[in-house]
Amino acid sequence: MALNDNDVQKQIKHMMAFIEQEANEKAEEIDAKSEEEFNIEKGHLVQTQRLKIMDYYEKKEKQIEQQKKIQLSTLRNQARLKVLAARDDLISELLEEAKMRLSRMVVDLKVYQELLDKLVLQALLRLLEPVMIVRCRPQDSLLVDAAVQKAIPDYVMVSQKQVEIKIDQETFLPASSLGGVEVYSNNQKIKVSNTLESRLEFLSEQKMPEIRRCLFGANPNRKFFV
Amino acid sequence: MASQSQGIQQLLQAEKRAAEKVADARKRKARRLKQAKEEAQMEVEQYRREREQEFQSKQQAAMGSQGNLSAEVEQATRRQVQGMQSSQQRNRERVLAQLLGMVCDVRPQVHPNYRITA
Repeated sequence: MALNDNDVQKQIKHMMAFIEQEANEKAEEIDAKSEEEFNIEKGHLVQTQRLKIMDYYEKKEKQIEQQKKIQLSTLRNQARLKVLAARDDLISELLEEAKMRLSRMVVDLKVYQELLDKLVLQALLRLLEPVMIVRCRPQDSLLVDAAVQKAIPDYVMVSQKQVEIKIDQETFLPASSLGGVEVYSNNQKIKVSNTLESRLEFLSEQKMPEIRRCLFGANPNRKFFV
Repeated sequence: MASQSQGIQQLLQAEKRAAEKVADARKRKARRLKQAKEEAQMEVEQYRREREQEFQSKQQAAMGSQGNLSAEVEQATRRQVQGMQSSQQRNRERVLAQLLGMVCDVRPQVHPNYRITA
């Protein structure tokens, strides 16, 4: 016998201890590595997710800003439109008043006759046709007749042309209109409108910038206005 | 000879225990990695909740100030409209006089380019 029982036992105990120690070391190594990997993995996951969330919310918060700006701009725009609409209303009101005053003015027959004389002549001189038709309100027929009679000699003198003027008996201007005349060529294809409404309309359109300036003051936004 | 097999048994058992120890360590490692995912998830959720709250409060603040802004704009508009109305009141007579004057200022003329042909 090379070794007695005691020696064998000792040997075996040695080997067992060795095996156990090896196992412990290996287990420790595994544990240490697992801690390390735990930290790395967790840190990595948290980092990437956090970045994503941060980006997401930054974008959303920026959108809030944008929305605010858009809403403010919309509000301002609507306000501007409201102001313009109010301005328009004020001007319309003024023009309505002008029409009222005109209608009151033509009640004075002397004044109206004088006006009609000039209106008729002016319209005739505008049209310059050999045959012309004069149209008026039904209630003005007599006045217009007189005006035409007065106008013919003046017309002939200025234009040096003979002329035939008819007063339209079939169609009239609306009785509710303010007054004045319309003059047509013989085939009714050319019209000169010298009614009080058309004059007022034309004038108000042409003079609108000035009217606005008089009523509301100069526009502060115009830099190069002379 | 009985002692021989006993010794071998002991060794085998020691081996078995060693293997179990290592296997346990490996199981712990696997669990730890799973834990990493779970804990990361929790932390991320926490962060998300914080950010959501921040966002909500910012949005509320924005909504609040919105109401103020619209009130301000409305006020400015009203003031402007009132200004225009009073300005119109002040100046309308002058404008009306001018306008009506021009309507009634009729000057019958023939066109300056008119030529008298024979």
